[in-house]
Amino acid sequence: MRGPWPAVAFFAAAALAPLVVRDAFLLDGLVLILLWGTTGAAWNLAGGYAGQVSLGHAAFFGLGAYAAAILGTRWGISPWIGLLVGAALATAFGFILGFLSNRLRGPYFGLATIALSQVLLIVASRWRAFTSGSEGIPVSFRPGFWTLGIVDKRVWVYVILVLAAVLYVVQLYLERSRRGYQLAAVREDEDAALSLGVPARRLKVAAIAVSAALTAVCGTLWTQYVGFVDPLYVFSVDLSVRFCLFAILGGIGTPLGPFVGAALITILETSLRARFGGIGAGLVGIYLIIYGTALIVTMRVAPQGLLPWVGALLRRRPDPRPTG
Amino acid sequence: MHAIPQLLASTLLLGGIYALIAVGLTLIFGVMRVVNFAHGEFLMLGMYLAFWSFTLLGLDPYVTLVLGLPVIFGGGWLSYRLVMQPVIHASHNVQIFTTVGLSIALQAIALVLWSADAQFVRTSYYAVVVRFGGVAMNLAQIAAFVVAVLFTTGLFAFMRWSYAGKIMRATAQDRHAASLMGIDTGRVFALTWAVGITCVGAAGVLLAPIYPVYPSIGLQFVLIAYVAVVLGGLGDMVGAVIASLVVAFVEVVGSYQIGTAWKEVLYLLLFIAILVIRPAGLFGQRGAEVIGT
Amino acid sequence: MRHVKWTVVVGLVALAVGVVGALQAQPLSGEYKIGVLEPLTGNLAAEGKRHLEGYEIVRDLINERGGVMGKKLVFVVGDAVDPTVAASEATRLATREGVKIITGTFSSTLCGAASEAAARQNVIYWETSCVDPRLTKRGLKSVYRTEIDGTGFGWYNVEFIAKHLAHRLGKKTSELRIAYLSEDSSYGQSVTESARQRAKAEFGMEEVALEYYTFTTNDLTPVILKLKNAKPDVLHHIARNQDAILFWRQAREQNFEVKAVVHAGATGYGSPDFGKAFGNDANGPFALLEPGPGLIIEKLRPEGQQIERAFRQAVKAKTGSDVPTGGHQLAGGGLWILKLVLDAAKSDDPDKFRAAVLAMDLPVGSAINGWGVKFDENGQNTNARVQHYMLQWQGGQLVTVWPEEFTTNRAKWIPLGAWDQRK
Repeated sequence: MRGPWPAVAFFAAAALAPLVVRDAFLLDGLVLILLWGTTGAAWNLAGGYAGQVSLGHAAFFGLGAYAAAILGTRWGISPWIGLLVGAALATAFGFILGFLSNRLRGPYFGLATIALSQVLLIVASRWRAFTSGSEGIPVSFRPGFWTLGIVDKRVWVYVILVLAAVLYVVQLYLERSRRGYQLAAVREDEDAALSLGVPARRLKVAAIAVSAALTAVCGTLWTQYVGFVDPLYVFSVDLSVRFCLFAILGGIGTPLGPFVGAALITILETSLRARFGGIGAGLVGIYLIIYGTALIVTMRVAPQGLLPWVGALLRRRPDPRPTG
Repeated sequence: MHAIPQLLASTLLLGGIYALIAVGLTLIFGVMRVVNFAHGEFLMLGMYLAFWSFTLLGLDPYVTLVLGLPVIFGGGWLSYRLVMQPVIHASHNVQIFTTVGLSIALQAIALVLWSADAQFVRTSYYAVVVRFGGVAMNLAQIAAFVVAVLFTTGLFAFMRWSYAGKIMRATAQDRHAASLMGIDTGRVFALTWAVGITCVGAAGVLLAPIYPVYPSIGLQFVLIAYVAVVLGGLGDMVGAVIASLVVAFVEVVGSYQIGTAWKEVLYLLLFIAILVIRPAGLFGQRGAEVIGT
Repeated sequence: MRHVKWTVVVGLVALAVGVVGALQAQPLSGEYKIGVLEPLTGNLAAEGKRHLEGYEIVRDLINERGGVMGKKLVFVVGDAVDPTVAASEATRLATREGVKIITGTFSSTLCGAASEAAARQNVIYWETSCVDPRLTKRGLKSVYRTEIDGTGFGWYNVEFIAKHLAHRLGKKTSELRIAYLSEDSSYGQSVTESARQRAKAEFGMEEVALEYYTFTTNDLTPVILKLKNAKPDVLHHIARNQDAILFWRQAREQNFEVKAVVHAGATGYGSPDFGKAFGNDANGPFALLEPGPGLIIEKLRPEGQQIERAFRQAVKAKTGSDVPTGGHQLAGGGLWILKLVLDAAKSDDPDKFRAAVLAMDLPVGSAINGWGVKFDENGQNTNARVQHYMLQWQGGQLVTVWPEEFTTNRAKWIPLGAWDQRK
């Protein structure tokens, strides 16, 4: 799937949809696809492009969520500011994680990320005085753009679309630029890259920090959209794994991959739920079995994800022109 | 203080179980260089095995342990062939996500098949308490501890003196050299995985009389096992056992001194501290964590 | 050829019969659809399903009694696994399914998101179970709750301890030593904190210990040792499920002696799982719940008696149990009140609905569970009307023991005494 056309199609469809679709439920699905896709893309910066697989990215998501929620409910500060504060906090933690990434590889790093997200979960659940503990924070809804109190889902689509586009461009930058090549070198073989003079450590830390900041931004937007912050959800390992899932299933290390992955997963879940809802509620749990199996199969058959795999398939069609 | 003997007893009982779980995990890593993120789910499956044997066949969990061992081993072997073998030579990340996928799938299957309702194995002796020297201990927990010790000792003996054990240790040291020596690393991996799963599955059977059984019970035990395994040095079995006791100690004493609310934070911070200061763990080889192999 | 002709004839006849049969299946003129949102998959599924069952049982009772606004009550069910999904499902129910009322959602972490989403779609949100005190305090006009919130639980628990236990223990309330132990999720925290406040502020009880733990903990021995050191008279323990079982077992092992154990809610000590795990050894602890065995139905008002009897019969028919579970009672009780409101309002227009809600004033004993109805301005059914009862494990079963005027049973083992003595 070379070329910008798939991405152009995706973003164009997303941009045009609100003009045509009125159904709030479908729009909600689109908002979630874009939001999760963006979060997956943010994860992809660290996990896909820098090769630092984090299983605890919910830590950053939660920081963004709480920053906005606490600043908003305690001091009436606009969530846009909360967004910046959350991003700053996440960057700080991102640096910590980056530091760890230079001392740990592979599964060790993954375990460290899990530990970090769990520590934040526990602190958020216990620090009642500041975070309202496990009861979470209901985010006060004040209508207006400055307070991100938006009812119309069509507007939400555009708000998140902007962020999604930003993330797409950032990923594209990592694909095409010199920095991006250096990062790819670090990802493939860090020692070889180091020996070539690539500032591997700094690049990794930078990638993780940026990834963290952008994930936090997604967390803030999510908070304002859903209206309730629950520490056990927002810092959970399940959520972290979902972020990875979007990128891995869709295409790790490709700019459009996370969005495709998020679209597939969101559509699958929502339709299963709508279909089986109350009657076959037990059957609804099947989507989890599908994810697990899909992950196993994908790792075996198409470790780079769906998009690159489909792209490779398409390119293998018989070419009338002789190849060199 | 009169609490100390009891605290130590609790440490020992808990630590013994953690050790059995951790030992399997560290063995798999030591030989195969794979962190099994689905380890907790195999624990859960072991618990369900005990539950269903008890409910449908009337078998006591300790009987299930003996009779079920081949079943658990077979299940482990099968899961290796179906899931792990195709990716055994792939990159770390691929392997990590394969086990993550396995974890998701297994938990989801349990949820769909058996629902989220907690189940209980209520044996006739579940409430028997053994008391001496100011210490009270649940009989089932003591039994679990004893069996865990026997199991772990048996495993060490196997690794040390049996031919298969030697081959596994050789593969752990250097898989390429081992295969050059004519060792079929593929089969060693299958065996290692199956043995590791058997350990954790057995731990599950032992835990069934003590804890309620439900699909997501794996996580609370396995997170501690990860901490113990890293603390002891990934791949080091003795280290895993000692570290399990250390972690249990931190948990129990931390609960008592500081408050139960913070005990998870304690061992998680301990975990992060180890990763920062000495990632190879107490007994691991320095630098192993950077090479990652 | 003959075969074909006969097949066609038979087919047409079958079709005709089917059509006529289908047309005859609706006795009430038309259907009224509401949305039901509960966690049906994931960790909370066990309780979510009980709630759904409760809804279904009472829905059938409602349809036997004229439906709502003259129409047959029908559900569209949504599965609220986590807050994001709860919001999405609420949106789906409101927009796709076009419901004007959504009810649910059991968990405090879900009801916030669900009610928010419902409010944005201008749909009435009728909460029957979650205890987060802030649900009704966010200024959302069409959010109502039939059950008391976490602070109400704490309020009732302390009421029981102060008005009933204290004098049976031979102590003044200001002399009572009370220890608080709780699982640390939203539920545990909200109930415990409100109990702590009332106990101290209104009755001057002495707080000798406060311990929170994660309900998935593997071991509570250290906590029990600490509690032993604190020597409380009463243990206020809010448990989630497995933790109650773990605690009870380990407390017995450690020979922890306390004079009373008080809990609130359909989880932990209030769940049938506790009895399943211990049988007769479960005897002793108290749990604040909806009415269980021993309830003197005759003490309810006539309309309350009728519907309570019918409710219990229906539960027995559907589940085989003489006793409804807490989930059944909360969901069913809440749904019944919804019917009463809709019958009064004759409309689901949010303003007319609200007017009917605020106007309703039924004394204790009028509805399922012996509840009364009086909503405050925030849409919260008030503590005094939502009569709660203290149940105690006796003979391996939860029986109603308080308030004494409503029940034939009496609380036993005050103080609890030795572990082996409670048969």
